[in-house]
Amino acid sequence: MAVAMGHPARPARRASQAVQAVAIGLALLWSLAPLYWMLATSFKTELEAARLAPTAWPHDLTFANYRGLFTGELPFPAFFLNTLITCLATAIVAVIIATPAAYALSRARFRLRGTIAYAMLVFRMLPLVVLLAPLYLLLLHAKLLDTHTGLVVGFVTFGLPFAVWMLKSFIDAVPIEIEEAARVDGYTRFQIVRKVVVPLILPGLLTTATFVFMEAWNNLIYPLTFVTTLDKQTLPAALVLTFTGQFKTDWGGMMAAATLTTLPLMIAFFAVQRSMVRGLTSGAVAGA
Amino acid sequence: MTNGVASRSARDAERVPWIDAMVLPSAAVLAMVVGYPVVYTLLLSAQDYNLLGTTPERFVGGGNYRKLIDDATFWLSLSNTAIYTFGSVAIAALLGLALALLTENVGGRRGRAVRALLLTPWAVPFVVVAFLFRYMYLQNGGVINALLLAAGIVERPISWLNVSSLALPAVMVTNVWTMTPFFFLLLAAALAAIPNEVIESARVDRARGASLIFSIKLPFLRNALLVSSLLMIIANFNDFAKIWAMTQGGPGYSTTTLVVYVYRQAFENFEIGYASAIGVVWLLLLLAFAVAYLRVLRMK
Amino acid sequence: MAKISLRGVEKRYDGTVVLHDCNLDIADREFMVLVGPSGSGKTTLLRIIAGLERVSAGNVLFDGARVNDVDVGDRDIAMVFQNYGLYPHMSVYDNMAFGLRRRKLAPSDIDARVRRTARMLGIEPLLGRRPRQLSGGQRQRVALGRAIVRDPAVFLLDEPLSNLDAHLRVQMRAEILKVHRAVTATAVYVTHDQVEALTMGDRIVVMNHGRIHQVGTPGELYDAPVDRFVASFIGTPQMGFVDCHLERSGERITLSTQAARIAASDAHRRLLQAFAANAITVGIRPECLTLASQADAQSAEVHVRGVVQVVEMLGAEQYVHVATDAGALTARVPRHRSVKVDETVTFVASAQDVHLFDRESGLALR
Repeated sequence: MAVAMGHPARPARRASQAVQAVAIGLALLWSLAPLYWMLATSFKTELEAARLAPTAWPHDLTFANYRGLFTGELPFPAFFLNTLITCLATAIVAVIIATPAAYALSRARFRLRGTIAYAMLVFRMLPLVVLLAPLYLLLLHAKLLDTHTGLVVGFVTFGLPFAVWMLKSFIDAVPIEIEEAARVDGYTRFQIVRKVVVPLILPGLLTTATFVFMEAWNNLIYPLTFVTTLDKQTLPAALVLTFTGQFKTDWGGMMAAATLTTLPLMIAFFAVQRSMVRGLTSGAVAGA
Repeated sequence: MTNGVASRSARDAERVPWIDAMVLPSAAVLAMVVGYPVVYTLLLSAQDYNLLGTTPERFVGGGNYRKLIDDATFWLSLSNTAIYTFGSVAIAALLGLALALLTENVGGRRGRAVRALLLTPWAVPFVVVAFLFRYMYLQNGGVINALLLAAGIVERPISWLNVSSLALPAVMVTNVWTMTPFFFLLLAAALAAIPNEVIESARVDRARGASLIFSIKLPFLRNALLVSSLLMIIANFNDFAKIWAMTQGGPGYSTTTLVVYVYRQAFENFEIGYASAIGVVWLLLLLAFAVAYLRVLRMK
Repeated sequence: MAKISLRGVEKRYDGTVVLHDCNLDIADREFMVLVGPSGSGKTTLLRIIAGLERVSAGNVLFDGARVNDVDVGDRDIAMVFQNYGLYPHMSVYDNMAFGLRRRKLAPSDIDARVRRTARMLGIEPLLGRRPRQLSGGQRQRVALGRAIVRDPAVFLLDEPLSNLDAHLRVQMRAEILKVHRAVTATAVYVTHDQVEALTMGDRIVVMNHGRIHQVGTPGELYDAPVDRFVASFIGTPQMGFVDCHLERSGERITLSTQAARIAASDAHRRLLQAFAANAITVGIRPECLTLASQADAQSAEVHVRGVVQVVEMLGAEQYVHVATDAGALTARVPRHRSVKVDETVTFVASAQDVHLFDRESGLALR
């Protein structure tokens, strides 16, 4: 019976499998083609990159663009370092501040609990610019404009609510019986968080830190506003500010810079990608 | 049987000192660095405050808001934002859903590789995406035009980013490219979380293909879809990098969204008071939207 | 070793009362079982004794001293959780040593204790493994070991066996009792399984809807239940109940319904004479009912007639579930007697075997 029923279905299945393969192929093409283009262009000479009829792959392969980033007029290594330092600092600071708050929101019950959780979401919704003007003035008065510290303050402001939200969902996943067992063993809350909870949410901590890191790396408007000296600028802002005048047609150089800007983010992303889903979906997916 | 673990933790400790110690630092930081700007913005929005200091700041109450109502550019930026945000999110969500369904039964190493590759656009910094697409959209030398010409779809290269009517859609395409992986990731996870028994009993009931997707799987995805959409809508409202690096809000004001407009008012015209007023209106709109949205979410 | 007392303990969550006025005395080294259906409050009571929850009213006393404000870690208790609560990121050894390390004992001391306990429970070869590498039964032993190694005054166990399969459960029951005898501490054990309660407890607390119904030895609970709930909760198969009315004729009192006739025994007569109302529920345990013919039944002290609903074959005997006009009964019938569904049957019993309950309040007459 089963064999007989299988027969007429088979050609239909193969057809649908073929369609599926083609569709996935198209999706892959759509996702990866632009990245290939970026990579290919970064190895083209300025002339070839600006050709009216673009070449599918570099006919004149060159590393000049990459070399130029390190030896050229613009302080690309400085941009890179500025971005790396501020984003790392932001990730670390945000996670350190967010963890106790996330723990409290997850475990304790106090009157303001619902309000604070809701407020986090609202802060997330804040137009960046709402924070921009007062932050600018705040940093101005504190003489933190044009400094790494000031930028980190700005980044942390934006990243903190989300970090709390994400960490909370990771902490929620730790069975409370384990903490109660530790309480029975006589440990204080602080000790419990340090010795029991944190080791168990380590992947979650890393994921949240990576997320904050990525967000900060992507932030254009804060560096643009808070940093005035080009040497202290971060990559996104530097790319925008320097792509004028003589560099405006140097697409090869721009793509080389773009590639190097992308690399750290891509590495960080793929390192935590699986854990990130868990953190993001705990609230969204039923029962997760 | 004992009550659920979750409810037990929710009933834990009434007023216990350690909570204060734990929450206080974070709450203080948040209050200071976030709460303070919100309050300050409200105050600023009621002032005529120009940073260049040509006229001293003075209190004008609702003056900025009245100016807003008559400001055609403001309304344009509002509609641009709506189109940009909701349009991009809707398309990205649909594409993400399609991808999730498409790759659902591809297993093993190949499946993991495919899924990882489909995620890459999300990992690219927004500024990079902006410049990359700007390069691809070039009228002379851009690869998109080259392909269209070669395929015979157009006769002459199109200036995507310099024509008012085309700029916003072009920017939206870029946005969709970046956002789709996010929806793909979440929806694929939600799909995988559907209990096997549900799928199997549906198959026993002879549900197949399209009907299986629509009547069985989609309800499970409803929550994930709504929450991820909300997250992305909020994120899109704040989308500065992509637009600024591609078009700076031009040509004219055709790609000027609220965030671009506010930035320009605050840091090109230095009208901080006016910019703050726009920010307040924006916040209120978003709040109202989120409240309505969350209510839909709660209604299961 | 500690005496535990609860005085007027009440617990409220958001206005809902979860525990009503609980009073209890647990003797030193006693194995006390808290039993009841889900939501009866037994786990809450246990957690209050532990200190994981605070009382809304009333007092908790250890050896006469009020411990309401004493923190969990300072009460000298050990707890075995339903889902074991093992630290996933630590080895079995570290799981057991964790609590001891905080007390700043010498490492050699800790090592000796851990190994001794592990040997007692037969888990020594598992000391290096992580919880996720262990089976359910092994994890349970580790959870037990973690509690034992602390050498506490009180052991608290929250349904520790409910996640094990039936066979393991029976095995572990005996082991836990063996351990209890060896460590000479007071133990409070929560379960929803009345069989577990009867086989393990020195005394049992029967709870329902946040109230303590009865505290007593297994024998007391079985033979002299204080109300209908305890009578129906304890004992397998369940006690059968028949709603009757009182007939007084001179010195004799009879309880009857259409299908049943129960002559009150001397002891019961005295109780019924004092009883004002008319509505009585009679309870009879399955083993007290004997299958009889219609004729023999007429002369018996107690006879009940009903229609067979279900017959459960259990090997050596059968459980016959019967419906009468005023209630349902179950009887244990020897296997050789043939009983068919929908058949009308008659049972007899002796008058002293019946239990009398006030139909309105559910309380037993005593």
